[in-house]
Formats: sequence, structure tokens, C-alpha cells
Amino acid sequence: MTHPLIERTEPNLLEDTFEYSLPPRILFDGPLVEYIEGKPVQFEPKEARSRDLVISDTTFRDGQQARPPYTVDQMVRIYDLMSKLGGPSGIIRQTEFFLYTKNDRETLDRCRSLDRPYPECTGWIRAVKGDFRLVKEAGLKETGMLTSCSDYHIFNKLKFSSRKECMDAYCDVVAAAFEAGVRPRCHLEDITRADIDGFVLPFADRLMEMSAGVSEELSVKLRLCDTMGFGLCYPGVRLPRSIPKLVYKLNRECGVPSDRLEWHGHNDFHKVHANGLAAWLYGCNAVNTTLFGFGERTGNPPLEAALIEYIALMGDTRGIETRVITELAEYMRSIGLPIPGNYPFVGKAFNTTRAGIHAGGLRQDERIYNIFDTEKLLGRPPRVAITDKSGVDGVAIWVNELFGLTGNDRIKKTRIHALARWVMDQYEVEGRLTAISDEELEEKARELLKDLWAKYKGNA
Amino acid sequence: MASVEEKVKEITSKVTKVPVEKIELENAFAADLGADSVQSVELVAMFEDAFGITLDEDEALNVDTVGGAIEYITKVCAEQDVKTE
Repeated sequence: MTHPLIERTEPNLLEDTFEYSLPPRILFDGPLVEYIEGKPVQFEPKEARSRDLVISDTTFRDGQQARPPYTVDQMVRIYDLMSKLGGPSGIIRQTEFFLYTKNDRETLDRCRSLDRPYPECTGWIRAVKGDFRLVKEAGLKETGMLTSCSDYHIFNKLKFSSRKECMDAYCDVVAAAFEAGVRPRCHLEDITRADIDGFVLPFADRLMEMSAGVSEELSVKLRLCDTMGFGLCYPGVRLPRSIPKLVYKLNRECGVPSDRLEWHGHNDFHKVHANGLAAWLYGCNAVNTTLFGFGERTGNPPLEAALIEYIALMGDTRGIETRVITELAEYMRSIGLPIPGNYPFVGKAFNTTRAGIHAGGLRQDERIYNIFDTEKLLGRPPRVAITDKSGVDGVAIWVNELFGLTGNDRIKKTRIHALARWVMDQYEVEGRLTAISDEELEEKARELLKDLWAKYKGNA
Repeated sequence: MASVEEKVKEITSKVTKVPVEKIELENAFAADLGADSVQSVELVAMFEDAFGITLDEDEALNVDTVGGAIEYITKVCAEQDVKTE
């Protein structure tokens, strides 16, 4: 097979995928195929897009397990911003709260008093009958409860003497939830290390039987908890690590509808975000996330990244207020959450280029080195940081940003060469090894570009 | 009044630190005289000041030899009605 050149004199920028005003589209050529018991099974991305895909949040539960507790005011502020971020159709559909302390309950009350339709507030309790009192007192319609399903947990942690004893105990708690009029969401902890045929599927079957006897609003939801991050999203993987097979078995063999299936991941093997998307595509409607991925140990799927992925999959924002991602990051920093500089979408330097040759590209057309219109979607225009690799192009971009100049108003490189020379001398003559801070460069710009400073900054 | 060639060589020497008598018309600014990206821009800026002309930045930075610069500057001086010898 040969591949002849397709000659063009104008660029083909592949804008059906890379429409700059949105995150790049996720487009498929056909169905995803997974072999289940030796037979090919198709999963249609179009079908996934037609489902009510949502994001659920556990910032206040799993997220808080990874840090000192938030204050009530902080949680209410985060909830309020999260509600704004998810938009009116509730792409961020639910968030869960602990119910054990006075602060937990006050937070829940104050969040609900904001009267936001989304995210809906749900609870999180142990699989203990007595804990339903807390859920009922709080007036919640749904609560998560831990129903750990690997033998590591059943035998080694919870000390059940048999799987049957364990399943009976869990089902007693589910029955108590029904009795209390609360929808149980069974958190299948450690599912990616569980005996799927031997425990998980029989348990799901039994929960479906129990659900058949109650109203739809009370029927059991299942959260697939990849507690140790063992889940794998690519096809052909053996159970229990295969996300396609796990979701398929619960969805199509046990008959748990997609809107009652949720994926909860952990990032121990750096797969947390891609695994969440896979769960959506293979049949879970909800992906459980935390803001900026903060969660137990290595964290959970980052909420903001799931939103970007959602837009990329759907092809429009569907009411998601993406700029609130930046607002949330600023708020989280202000209350002491460390966000690394290179962290996608919100790190201080996520769209900052350092190399001069990249800065040159950025000067000509920002799309060359910017992932999407980050100014429009996140309020963060692409930036350059100044080092010995920045070159004159990098310094020119920095100066134009400083003076807020764009398009034909931009200052030419020939007018800022004195500042570019100072930068180069810092490294070549002075032997400097660190980046130059904005403050330092501003001071030099004021000194070396006096005319420009007077014109654009006045006496500032 | 110095000629265009003399002025171009003098400025090139000042920026690149190559003695003026060693600068040849066929010398490339970057490859032969060692001009880096900042020096290239400095050269263009100093040519503009010395001749009292305005150069198109991209066009000027694409001129790669001393002889090419003399030719280009002579042409721009004529276009902008600036006298040279």
C-alpha cells in the first residue's frame, strides 16, 4: 500500500475535531468491540452519547479523606461554585456528604438552604442498619453505603465467616433502606479485585430482585469502586480488572440499567481519568469525581477533567460554565489546597510555554501551542515564561501581554531588544539558572522600555 | 558621509563583536558571524536608527547576509526617500 501526498496550498487544520472554541472532539469511526466469553460485543459510542451521562461528586467525602477537614463555610462556598459550574441541566448531578458529625449535618443543611437544583445532596454511611436514622433525620432521598465485595474485605477486613453471611448482612441493610424510604447506593468496594462470578454478580442479581419489589425511585444503584486503581480501560483485559467487562456484566447480564450504574476510580496507576470515560462509553451513566482529583491516597477522577471530556464527547458545553473551573481553583488555592503548576486546565503554568521556538509559534497563531481557546473557556490566555530558551519571540509575547496589546497593536521585536538582551545576559553572562519572575521582568521593562512603559502604563 | 556598506559593516561589528575588517559581503549573520536571535533583532533595530528608516520586521529578519542587508537597506532608503551615498 502506498500513500500519495495530498497536495494543498492552504492548511487543513482538521477543524471538525479541533474546533478551537471547544475542547477537541472525541470522534469514533465505529463501535467499540470487546470479546466477552469469546464472542465480540459491540458498544456504540452514539448510544453512549444518547444516554443521560452525568458526573457525580465526592469532594466532601473521598476528597476530604485526603486532607484536613474543610470548614462549613468552605464547603458551602465550594458547593455553590460547583452548582454554578455544572449548569442548569445538572451535568454535576449529585454530591455526597458524611452525616456523622454536627459539622457534617450543618454543612448539608446550609448547602440545601441555597436551594440549588444541582448537585443533589446524598449521604454516605456505613452498611449498618442504625445509620439509616441519620439519613432519615437529614431528610435525604439517597445514600451511599459500603458493600465491599472482594474477599480481601469480606474475610480479611470485615471478618465475615462466609460470603453468604456477608451478602445476607448487606441485603438486610438494603432492606432497612427500603423500609426507611431511602434509596440505597451500594458501593461495591474493591470490585477490581473481587471474584466477579462468585460474589459480585450473584449479589447484583439479588439486589435486582429486591429492587423489583420497590418503586423505581427506591431501586438500588450500584457504584463500581476501583478502590486500589486496578481497573483497566482497554479491550481484551481479563476480569476483574476489565472495566468494559465489569460494566457489561452488571448492565447487560444482571440488567442493572445504566442510570443506576456509577464508576468510582482511584489514581494509583495514573489511569483514573481515562477509566472514567471508559465506564461512560461501556454503560455507566455516572462517573464519580472530586475537584482537582483530590481524594484518598492518589486521588479520584478530577471533576473538571471529566467536564472537559464530557464537552469533547458531546460536542457542546450543554450549559457547563467552564470558567468557574478557574474560579474554583483560585478558591481552593486560597484555602490551602496545593495545585501543581503543571496540573492540566488550572495549574499556574498549564498553558505557559517556555521554549522560544514555541513562543514564536504562539506569536504567529496561538492555536499552534494552545490546546483550545483557554481564554474563552477558562479565562486563561496562553502565556510564556521567560528563561534562556524564550528567545526574542518569548520576550515579545510577554511584553505584549504586559501592555495588553493584541493583533496589529502588538509591539515589534525590534522595539524590545534591550529587554531581550538583558534576559539573555542573565543566563550567558551572569550564569543564572532559574526562570525570571514576572515581577523582576516588569521592573526591568520599566527601566529599559521607558517610552513604551510611559505610553501604555503611564505612571503605574 | 559613510556609505551604506560602511555603516552596515560597522553596526554588524558592534553587535557581533567581529572586527569590521574581517566582515565580508558574503558572510551570513548567523552562520558566519555567530549572531543569535537577540543579536539579529538588535541588528535590525540599529539599522533602522542609523539610516532613519522603518523596516518590515519579518522581511528584515529574513535577510541572511551582510551583502543582502546592504542591498535591502539601499532599496528601502530609496523607497522611503532617505539619502545614501
